[in-house]
Parts: sequence; structure tokens; C-alpha cells
Amino acid sequence: VSDSNFSLLVFITFSVRSQDIRNTVGNIPMEWYKDYPHIGYDLEGKKIFKPIRNKDELDEFLDKMENPDYWRTVQDKMTGADIRLSDEQVDLVHRLQQGKFGDVNFNEYEPAIDFFSNEVMIHPVTNRPQDKRSFIPSLIEKEKVGKLVHAIKMGWIKPRRPKETTPQYYDLWAKEDPNSILGRHKMHVPAPKMKLPGHEESYNPPPEYLLSEEERLAWEQQDPEYRKLSFLPQKFACLRAVPAYSRFIHERFERCLDLYLCPRQRKMRVNVNPEDLIPKLPKPKDLQPFPTTQSLVYRGHSSLVRSISVSPSGQWLVSGSDDCTVRFWEVSTARCLKTVEVGGAVKGVAWNPNPSICLVAVSYDDTVVLLNPGLGDRLVCTATDQLISSYEEPEEVMDQSVQWAVAEGEGHEQGHRLILKHPKTVRQVTWHGKGDYLACVMPDNGSSLQVVIHQVSKRRTQNPFRKNKGLVQCVSFHPIRPYFFVATQRYVRVYNLIKQELTKKLMANCKWISSMAIHPGGDNVICGSYDCRLAWFDLDLSTKPYKVLRHHKKALRSVAYHRHYPLFASGSDDGSVIVCHGMVYNDLLQNPLIVPVKVLKGHTITHDLGVLDVTFHPTQPWVFSSGADGTVRLFT
Amino acid sequence: MSQVQARFFTENKKYLIDDVPFSIPAASEVADLSGVINKLLEAKNDGHKHVEFDFLVRGQFLRTSLASHMEKENISTEEVVEIEYVEKFTAPQPEECIMHDDWISSVEADSEWILTGSYDKTARIWSMEGKAVMTVAGHTDVVKDVAWVKRNGLSSLLLTASLDQTIMLWEWNSERNKVEARHCCRGHAGSVDTVAVDPTRTKFCSGSWDKMLKIWSAVPTVEEDEIEEPNRPRKKQKTEQMGLTRTPLMTFSGHNEAVSSVLWVDAEELCSASWDHTIRLWDAETGEQKSTLTGSKVFNSISYSPLCRRLASGSTDRHVRLWDPRSKDGSLVLLSLTSHNGWVTAVRWSPSHEHQLVSGSLDNVVKLWDTRSCKAPLYDLAAHEDKILCVDWTENGLILSGGADNKLYTYRYSTCVSDAGA
Repeated sequence: VSDSNFSLLVFITFSVRSQDIRNTVGNIPMEWYKDYPHIGYDLEGKKIFKPIRNKDELDEFLDKMENPDYWRTVQDKMTGADIRLSDEQVDLVHRLQQGKFGDVNFNEYEPAIDFFSNEVMIHPVTNRPQDKRSFIPSLIEKEKVGKLVHAIKMGWIKPRRPKETTPQYYDLWAKEDPNSILGRHKMHVPAPKMKLPGHEESYNPPPEYLLSEEERLAWEQQDPEYRKLSFLPQKFACLRAVPAYSRFIHERFERCLDLYLCPRQRKMRVNVNPEDLIPKLPKPKDLQPFPTTQSLVYRGHSSLVRSISVSPSGQWLVSGSDDCTVRFWEVSTARCLKTVEVGGAVKGVAWNPNPSICLVAVSYDDTVVLLNPGLGDRLVCTATDQLISSYEEPEEVMDQSVQWAVAEGEGHEQGHRLILKHPKTVRQVTWHGKGDYLACVMPDNGSSLQVVIHQVSKRRTQNPFRKNKGLVQCVSFHPIRPYFFVATQRYVRVYNLIKQELTKKLMANCKWISSMAIHPGGDNVICGSYDCRLAWFDLDLSTKPYKVLRHHKKALRSVAYHRHYPLFASGSDDGSVIVCHGMVYNDLLQNPLIVPVKVLKGHTITHDLGVLDVTFHPTQPWVFSSGADGTVRLFT
Repeated sequence: MSQVQARFFTENKKYLIDDVPFSIPAASEVADLSGVINKLLEAKNDGHKHVEFDFLVRGQFLRTSLASHMEKENISTEEVVEIEYVEKFTAPQPEECIMHDDWISSVEADSEWILTGSYDKTARIWSMEGKAVMTVAGHTDVVKDVAWVKRNGLSSLLLTASLDQTIMLWEWNSERNKVEARHCCRGHAGSVDTVAVDPTRTKFCSGSWDKMLKIWSAVPTVEEDEIEEPNRPRKKQKTEQMGLTRTPLMTFSGHNEAVSSVLWVDAEELCSASWDHTIRLWDAETGEQKSTLTGSKVFNSISYSPLCRRLASGSTDRHVRLWDPRSKDGSLVLLSLTSHNGWVTAVRWSPSHEHQLVSGSLDNVVKLWDTRSCKAPLYDLAAHEDKILCVDWTENGLILSGGADNKLYTYRYSTCVSDAGA
């Protein structure tokens, strides 16, 4: 650029010199001299007068037309004279107009010399030593980095984009609609095909396809739905003679209906094996030991044996029968060692569970007798007798509903020790675990005196209930805690004996409870009922049965728990005893496991009665059952 | 396979035959083989009388055809089979039926006399011919077990254990036929169900329902053991007729349930079976428990054979089980003999034969077993009409069984001389 200016200056000086007129006003706007006759001053200070411009427009035009150099004539503003541009000057103007350098000889594309190359030469471009600032960290940069670090720490920015670890594949079927055509094609059901026409449809069928007269009549008689052929095969002499088919529209319509109504998708049926729906129970084989076979039969009673009980040591068995006797048996040999006659059909017997007392409570009619059978340890027997004889009458005699009497004479010889006369018939007797309290049941719908609790050591009787809540079926003491279970027809009520209040009321969901047993742990109860059900209650779980078993065909008469083994048994009128595995876990989260393991049969059904009582051996996995056939049986 | 190469041998010199292999039909049974042997013997010596033989293949009695037996026992039919033959055990011959007044709870016989304990609270002494010799009465309750202690010329010592928690030691003079209660052993707190006299005949052991084993001296003395009882004068009168009171020398406790059977393995070792499903071995001197054999059922009875050193047990299921009392870990049943249908209440080894034993069961059958044929008994003795409670086998080959039908049956069982020798 500087070169071009230079050349212009040269040109101008050249042009001025040729005229030799030099205006000295300087570089001012020339219109300032517009109204003056002169245009400026020359070197001598004389006015330079404006050239006489007398040419009018017409002259101008003629000049333009005639003067061939008109186009290269320009007015010099400084002097006002017309200057004719030379050829060189015109050429220069042309070059400048084209954006080229004014100097023709100037080569603008000379090869570049790379002074600042990467090559280190012995004489560098600059030999300045490096700045000090290149050695010290930049404060600005430090501030910027600090801001970034802070932002990273605060989580405002992420230093780098989190990598997507899961490989991404193109899922070919992701967008597929199950209802789309593709989906349907997988389950495609072809449209039903029409049956191809056979010989009988022919216009000229073989004669065997033509119906005879009777067949035709039969065809006409038949209901159109049941016709084998929907038309009558006909024979025509030639195809020309075949008339229009009258059923054509009808058949087309039916075909359309077929296509329209035919299923377009296969129905998926869930195939469930019915056995998979049965809950998985362990095999009875793995739950041994439990009684499996009948081992001993205790024969001797002549009438139905209503009640049995085993001594706490497991050596003796007592049975009470309708033949007015109580028999004592040796368990291991089925030997009847003792027979005690009482004055009525025996309804209940119960051996005192305390091993240091040898007493058996026997109930018949309205009497409960405490017997000392004299079996087992002699010392225990004599101690029991002493305990009873050492009783002293209290000073104040209480008015009791039950009369206590000491047996004397022949009764004493037989083992009778105490006789308790009740106002009503006693149906059941049961001992408390400690062996001092004895509860008796006298079912009566109208009275509040249905259950009495006797204390043997003090010879006292209490009636724990003031109100009649229904016909009491059986009662039982809790094995550990001071609770008392009372089963009426439909409910089992649990009373707290210390607080004297109702704790729980169990809904048995059955019509008539017949029997009840408490698990030795005390948290589970089973109830047998006359409508063939056995209900297991988990007292911690609910007041409704945890499980109801309907294995018996007839009414249940008795249920029992084993004291140690996880077993319970039920005896029924159908003559069978069903033994079930009933495992109760210490863990409160685990529900009891109930598995029926064995049906024990042996008793013959007499007067529609089968098994009347069941009880377990205290130490062995053996179950005793007494039946209406007058026998007691031991299953081991 | 129709023919089998077999070589016959026997231990009995009387019936020796040549030691050459024979080719015999594989389908042949015991009777056929017996015929073969008899033929061979006849050919060898003229004076031979027909004898029934029994055959053992690798220690197991042949009961089916030879082919099926060999298939079952997995014996190769390619090789020569070694078949041992013994004279067939003849069936026990019933001898006497001795009627009692009540159930027979126990029986023990020696070479001359039979002692039975009964539920009528007495023990009885019978001659071998079934004649009632003596009634030993004194117990106030059922006699559960009886035992001979020893014989000294004409006077014998005997023991009776009873439900009344005592054991009585009696001295019986067979010439004058008088029985005298020498001692009344008191100490048990339950019915005494079993007694056993030690091999030296100076001590005996008793097992009771009170879970205890007690060892007592069996030597009669004239002094009464010291007992501390507050009401002694009252008892004194009673003991006059009951004999002098004796207290136990030692008490072994360890069982968790009633002891049902006790025996002496040898003079130092005791063995007891219990309702707690265990058989325990005790050191009789120190009272230490040596080992325990655990079963799965209540044990009713055990018997020990010094000949084969095996224990046989009868329990409240159908099986007679054989145990090795020397095994330490001890819950391994060597063999189960299964054929009964009820509880096995009594077992007794043969005193003279190492493979034979009898068992009595609640199914009214006494079975005679050979341990070499464990699937089926040798003989069923089905004479009883009610539960069998006791069996015994004397050294002179008499099998006795008593039960709830009040009858004591005796059978003469002549074990072959050859076999006894073997």
C-alpha cells in the first residue's frame, strides 16, 4: 500500500511540474475559493486565476463529440486547468481500478522465506533470554483453575462426561407392537378352507352318488342342520342344461360368516398340573417316630370304655368304663392288675400328673372319687395316703356346693380315698399340672354352676364362673401359666385365673365342640368337634383356627397332644385314630407344621361309636385309644 | 445255566465224602442236594442210614434253589461253588406243657429244675418232667423275674424280683423241699423288672423301673445290713418272714427310662437295656459307663452269647437285632432278624451253638433262628395262645417259653453233635 501512495505522489509532482503552476494554499477544501476569481497563490505569491470557463453546455457537448481525448481529460482542482492524461497514466489508473499494484514490475508472489521456522539455528531470530514470568505460575491462571476446582468439588460442573458403561445394542424388536401384523403372524391361524367339491357336486355325477328315492325322501325329511349333504346331487345331460344354483348367495354369505367368525389367534391355555397346587409337605417317613401299628390290646371291660389316662411314669394305664369299673393296666404287657368297682358308669378318669402323688380321679354319676391305686413307688403311695389322712378340718366350715367325704371300710380297701358329691352329673375331670387342683365339668344349660375347681389339699371347692355362657363341653388347665380353658359348644374361652378375667375367646367355626387339648408349650390348642373337624388354634396368631383338618368321616370324640414328641392324635366315631405331626417352633415367625402321618384302625364300631378317648404315652411315641368295643389299644 | 460245578465239604468226620467237584443242576434245592450226598455216602459205606442235610453257601443257608440263591448272593456260577453241608437241625420236639395259675412273667431253668415267676405273686420250681416241686411265695406283688444263683449239693440259692420293689434271695433245700427267705433286697423305688447273676455267682445285678441298676451281694449271711429307717420296729416284724433286709452294694444311674433287661457280659462287664432306646455297657467294678448302643425303639430284652460275642435285642417292633457290644461308636445293627408280627418280648441265645437263638413275641409265636439265615427262622414254635413273655434255653438243649396263656412249654432241641463240636 505504501508503494502505491508513493507512486501516486510521484505522479502528482510530475504532473504539476510539467505545468509549472504550483498552488500554495495547501491541503484545504477548494470550495473555500469558490466565490473568488483566483484559486490560490503560486510560489511567487501571485494569485492564480481560475481559467476562463466560458464553455456552455453546447460547447461541452461538441467538445465531447469532437475531441478524441475528452475521456482522458481531467480538471486539476488545485489550478482548475484541464489536463490530458498520458497513456502511462491511463494504464496506471486501469491497474489500480483492477486492484493490481501500480508498479508493473512488482512481483507480489515472491517466494516466502520462513524466518520463524521450527529449525533451531546457530543464530536464532531473537536471542533474548526467556522471561521471568515464564518460570513463575500465573496468578490469573491459578485463580481460574481454583474456580474450576471449586466448581468440580461442589458438583456444579462435571470434569468429563460420564461414560455410558452399558453397551448399547440395537434392539430389533423393541418397538414391536404385540398387536401389530408381525405379532399376529407369529400366531397366525390360516383361514378355514372350503371343502373341495367332490363327485356329488358334479353336474354329471357317477350313478352311485345319486340318491335313490328313499334316500331322497329321507334327506328331505331330515332337519337341514343334520343333513350330510346340503344339496341333492343331480344329473344333467350337459353343462348347458345346468340351471343357476339357487343357494349360491346363501352359501357365499355363510362362507363370509365362517371367515369373519373364525378365530384369528391361538388361545394360550395355561397348563397347570393340579398336583403343583398342593402345598409341599414333608413325607411322613421323615417325621418318625410316630405310632404305626397296633401292638397291644387291653381286654377286660365288658362295656364301652369312655376314658383312659396314663400314669406320669408311663408304667400304668387307667381306664373307666360303662360297666361301672375302673381298671388299672400294666402298659408293657396289657395285664390288668387291678379292678375297682364304682357305683356307676365311669365318665372320666384322670391320673394326677404330679409324680409324687399317686391319685386317680374317677367321675361317675354325680360323684368324683379320688382313688389311690397303690401302684408305682410304695413310698409315694403311702405318702399320698398320709397327705390325705393328715388333713385337718378348718375352724370355720364353709358352705360348699360339693360335699367332701373320706372313704371308709370296703371302699378304702379298694383304694377309694376321697368322695366328692356334686349336685349334678359330672362329665369330665381334669387335673392341674401341679396336681393339687381338680376341675370338674357338669354340663347344664340353665345354671351357672357348670364348672367347679377343687383344691384337694384344702378340700375346698370353688365355682369360678357366675354367669352361664353356654353349655360347657370340656375344660382344661394351661400347662404352665394360670390360664383356664373352657370349651362351650362353639367357643373356647381362655380365662386368666389370677386376674379373674376373660383373656381370649376362640371361635372354633364348628357346630359343637367335643374335646380340646392344650399343647404342652401352652400356645396352641386343638379342638375336636362333632362335625368331623379338628381345629388347630395358634393363640399368638388369631382367635380363628390356624388350620382345620377334616380327615375323619364321623364325629371326633377325643383329641390329645404328646407331651414331648411333636404329635397329636384324634379319635373318632368312625373307629379310627389319626395321628398327625404337629411341630410347634420356638421361633414366633414360623407357623406350626401340621402333617397327618397315620390312620390307625383297630376298634370295631359298636352302637355307632368308635373311639371314645385317645391319650399319648408320657415318654414314648405311643398312643392309647379306648373304644366302644370295650377295649383299649396301644399303637406303637 | 443249567449245571453248576460244586464241591461239597463238611466239618463232620462221620459224613466225609471225596473232595471232588460235582456238576449238579442249578435248579436243585435242598432236598435234591441232600439226596445227592446220601447217595454218595451210601456208595462209600454200606451201613449208612438216610440223613437230612442242610447246606451253607458262603455261610448262608440255602433256602431256595441253588441258582436263585447264587443270583441273590451275587456268586459267580463260572467257578466251583463251595457248599458246606451239615446235618439238618431237627425240629424241636414239644415235651411238656406246664400249667400255671396265672401269667408267666419269667423262666429260668438249670440242668435239673425249672424256675418260673408268675403274676400270681409266686415263683415256682418244677422238675424237668413238669412236676410242681415247690411254690415260693412271699412277694406282695407280681414276680417279674427269677434267677438261679447256685447249687450247693442239695441246697440251692434263687432270686425273685417283683413289682413290690424288692428282690428276694431264697434258699431251697431240694431234699427236704423247704424254701427259706434269706434276704430281702430293698432299695429300688420302682418295680424290679430284671435280675442277673454274675459269672462268679457271688453278686447279682437288678434293673428297675426307677431307671437304676443296683448290684447286690448274692452270698447269704446271717446279719442284716444296716438301714436307716425311722420306723424300724414296725418293719422288723415283717422282715422276720421276709428274710433279712439287704442293701445294694452299688447303684448305677444313667438310663433315662426304665431298665428292662440286664445281663453280665463277663465278670467285670454289665450290659443293660432300657426303655430310653439305649443299651449301655458298664464296668461292674467302678460303675463307669463304658459305651452306649443306641436304637430307635424301646428295648424289651437282650441276650449275650459268649460263643459269638454278639448281643441280641428284642424291642417294641418286629425285629430281633444283633449288636456288637465291643464297637465303640455303637449304634450299628449287625443284623436284623425279621419275621415276627408283634413286639419281641424275649430273646435268648443258644448256650451251645454260636448261631442260634430263640425269640418270643406278642404274636404268640416262639421262633428259632439261625443267624446264617436271617430272612426266615429255622422253626416257628406256635403253641402259645397268648402273648409270650419269656423264653429260656438250657445247656442240655431244652427250650422253654412262657406267656400270658398261663402255660409253660418245653421243647427238646437236640443240636447235632457235629454242629456243637463245630
